[in-house]
Amino acid sequence: MIWTTWRQFRGQALVGVIGLALIAAYFLYLGFDIRESYDNYRAQCASLADCGPQLSQFSADYENTLLYLAALLGLIPGLVGMFWGAPLVARELEAGTQRLVWSQSVTRRHWLAVKLALVGLASMVVAGAASLLLTWAASPVDQVADNRFSTILFGARNIAPIAYAAFAFVLGTLIGLLVRRTVPAMALTILAFVVFQFLVPNVIRPHFLPAEHLTMPMTVQAINQARSLGSITGAPVVKGLTVPDAWVTDVSELLTKTGEPLDEGIFNECFTNAPETGTAEGPYGDTAVCLAKHDVHVEIAYQPTSRYWSFQWLESAFYLVLAGLLAGFGFWRLQRRPS
Amino acid sequence: MPQENSYPALQAEGLTKQYGKRLALADCNLNVPRGRVVGLVGPNGAGKSTLLNLACGLITPTAGMLRVLGSPPAANAAHLAKVGFVAQDTPVYGTFTVADHLRMGAKLNPSWDQSLADRRIAQVGLNLKQKAGRLSGGQRAQLALTIAAAKRPELLIFDEPAAALDPLARDGFMQNLMEFVAELGASAILSSHLLSDVERVCDYLIVLCASRVQVAGEVKDLLAQHHRLVAPRGELDRLPAEVEVIRMQHTDQYSRAVVRVAGALPRTPWSVEPVSLEEMVLSYMTRAAGVSAGLTDAMAGEAVR
Amino acid sequence: MIWMSWRQFRTQALVGVVALAPLAAYLLFTGLDIRQAYDRYQSRCEVADRCLDAMSQFQDDYRTRLLFLALLLAIIPAVLGVFWGAPLIARELESGTQRLVWNQSVTRRRWLAVKLLFVGFASMAVAALASLLLTWAASPYDKVSGERFAALAFGARNLTPIAYAALAFVLGTVIGLLMRKTVPAMALTILAFTLLQFLMPNMVRPHLMEPVTVTKAMTADALRELRGVGTDATVKGLSIPNAWVTGTSKLLTASGQPVDARTIDTCLTKPPQTAGGGAGDTAGCLGDLNLHVKVDYQPNSRYWSFQWIESAFYLALAGLLAGFGLWRIQRHVS
Repeated sequence: MIWTTWRQFRGQALVGVIGLALIAAYFLYLGFDIRESYDNYRAQCASLADCGPQLSQFSADYENTLLYLAALLGLIPGLVGMFWGAPLVARELEAGTQRLVWSQSVTRRHWLAVKLALVGLASMVVAGAASLLLTWAASPVDQVADNRFSTILFGARNIAPIAYAAFAFVLGTLIGLLVRRTVPAMALTILAFVVFQFLVPNVIRPHFLPAEHLTMPMTVQAINQARSLGSITGAPVVKGLTVPDAWVTDVSELLTKTGEPLDEGIFNECFTNAPETGTAEGPYGDTAVCLAKHDVHVEIAYQPTSRYWSFQWLESAFYLVLAGLLAGFGFWRLQRRPS
Repeated sequence: MPQENSYPALQAEGLTKQYGKRLALADCNLNVPRGRVVGLVGPNGAGKSTLLNLACGLITPTAGMLRVLGSPPAANAAHLAKVGFVAQDTPVYGTFTVADHLRMGAKLNPSWDQSLADRRIAQVGLNLKQKAGRLSGGQRAQLALTIAAAKRPELLIFDEPAAALDPLARDGFMQNLMEFVAELGASAILSSHLLSDVERVCDYLIVLCASRVQVAGEVKDLLAQHHRLVAPRGELDRLPAEVEVIRMQHTDQYSRAVVRVAGALPRTPWSVEPVSLEEMVLSYMTRAAGVSAGLTDAMAGEAVR
Repeated sequence: MIWMSWRQFRTQALVGVVALAPLAAYLLFTGLDIRQAYDRYQSRCEVADRCLDAMSQFQDDYRTRLLFLALLLAIIPAVLGVFWGAPLIARELESGTQRLVWNQSVTRRRWLAVKLLFVGFASMAVAALASLLLTWAASPYDKVSGERFAALAFGARNLTPIAYAALAFVLGTVIGLLMRKTVPAMALTILAFTLLQFLMPNMVRPHLMEPVTVTKAMTADALRELRGVGTDATVKGLSIPNAWVTGTSKLLTASGQPVDARTIDTCLTKPPQTAGGGAGDTAGCLGDLNLHVKVDYQPNSRYWSFQWIESAFYLALAGLLAGFGLWRIQRHVS
């Protein structure tokens, strides 16, 4: 059974190895480039303490590249699920070869189990190698930027991508088993995976561990640190508040002393016709002064950065369990609804 | 147009097809007149499908010349309209319904005969709304045949049309096929490894073995040209030059030979018997098998069945 | 033949529309959001000295989101090539149905030509709609940032995505025609197209038009604005206002020779101390050497020329591939 699986998989494996080699070569090049650049910037300042501007310039240099690469790494599990997972069973069902292979002296469950284990392992190795190299390449920047908890980077470092690959692969296989046609199964796999990868960081990840809460008084200074104020609907919201060494998962609306949301009328009044003080500083100027006068605060939920590794393990476990459940469903389905 | 009446249905000279190093069809010379039902027989892998795929232009020859209804195969849309083809595994679009297939035929063929198609589909009892992917092998063959026939071609080519059918269905299918050919006034070429089919419907025969055409001609001419000679052992070793020995069998006392003579058989002292079509074809196959692989008579006979 | 193309394509078309609808909705939302934010920042511009600040903050707010949208738009042609292009012929060849359809009264070339045109135009329409929406949504941002030639943004605005989609689709179709198997053709399509999209902005695009070359004196001030100076006399991150810098020479001395490594090394490691200290000293040390660099650049005014040239390049490539496919299908495919 192992030989059969390998024999059917070797063409795809070769393509995977070639793709991985290209990526690995680029990551290695990037890693050395980043290190050289880091040394260059470091050489410009006497000690690490007064190196702030240089290092922030350094991390800004690579910010976009690393974001793209994180997105690319996010695609790898999707591609694995699409090209290795979806055709695994669908191709057999489409060509009718399951009638050949299921009539050998191997049970269907055994057949599926070996396929899932072997190709699944290969998927995880590919994703793991890519993730390892990117984590290594980006580590000087990550150390400086200290934002590895951010939605995209978190899923493109360390062990999380391995679990994504396992999940995507099993998902693809199962969709192939249900849809029974290769190309539609591939399309559905990539669609489902993308939707899932969009939902988990935004909806599920913040709740893996109970968040810490804090109340932040919205002084003029605090307001001016926000990335944006207000929304299309005119609600009194603040976006882009940061807490040092933490991943902010939720920020409430602007609240008054009583805990009620600030009246929209007052908020908009401050926005459009704030009384001119003539001395207001910062990006929001008089608006900030006007809002601060109403003695507002926000409730912030956050996850401290120290929980990074707990989250990596929890998220990986979550995906692996999901992959296991899907695989279990696949086994059950294979036995119940033959051919 | 006098020329229109003069071209043969199928004309080949030195036709050869190679796949890499493998010779699928070698030096094939044919001149099949129109208005015939042509049987193409030979064992599996003899090159029957290659010849038919060449004839409908799905593949191009490596060397040699081929004319179908006077033009190179699939030369243009007008020529495509004159040739109908049903491939060996009767491909249909799995996601199309039967009605979709008829619509496709109507859209893609200017000479489409919708009433013929409707009548055929009703006759074989196909459900118009059914997806073609769910049809049985026999139903698929019927659908493919209907599409090929309703474009009203001058020449219908079938590659193993009855291979997927059970004996009863095959009988009906061959019957239909003959009705078609008669109704359309068309020529037809069909390949088969089942001699009984060919014997029933064909008036022209091509025997193809080991990538070569062994013999081709009108069935009645072939039967007139072939004879079985029975003589005491050894006496058949020296035959006149115009007598071609196709197959020689020896028992302890007698030798039996199937021979071909172009004209009248010279007077011989031995017993001369007529041969059946089956025996004649078997003789050619045996000869080809002996030349190509040195197989025994028995095994070659097995291959025919 | 058009009915036939539509009948075979309609499911894929439906999936395309279903996938495109949420993207279009999101782009509309983003466009309105950006406009609102822009107006708000603009209102702060009434006080002149805050305008620069406000605008840079406005850019920070939307940079990442727009980058990801550009990335998404870059993926759309690849997806079209993989799911609409690669299976177009390969699926027929794999299931043997070409033997049915090629024996109708339509020549193969016409069959392929109609399919290529029909689905090709659908691909271009999808890319055009997405590009149009993103171009509209991002226009306030683009106006402020002025980075018209940035690698991803250039390929995700205006005309180029349409040409990319045409090429990706034809590429997928021809690969499918040659490989005759759907899934490998899909994989190869994605590989080939990604490679092309990586090479194009880096290798080909800078040379689509003869760059303008200027000599820039490397004063201490100019050196301070650089991202870095290498010991081999290379400079990194030299920018020219309203232009895309495509090539920068090494640091050259007055005689036109690259400055020797030891001088640079001395300035980098042991510059003469001044009051400012740090990087300022290195810049001052190098600035005293009377150095200059030769810079190749493409002015932003050429943006539309580049859009047209690059689109024409991709369309021509697509045309050549289509021609090859039409030739090949007549000659070699059974």
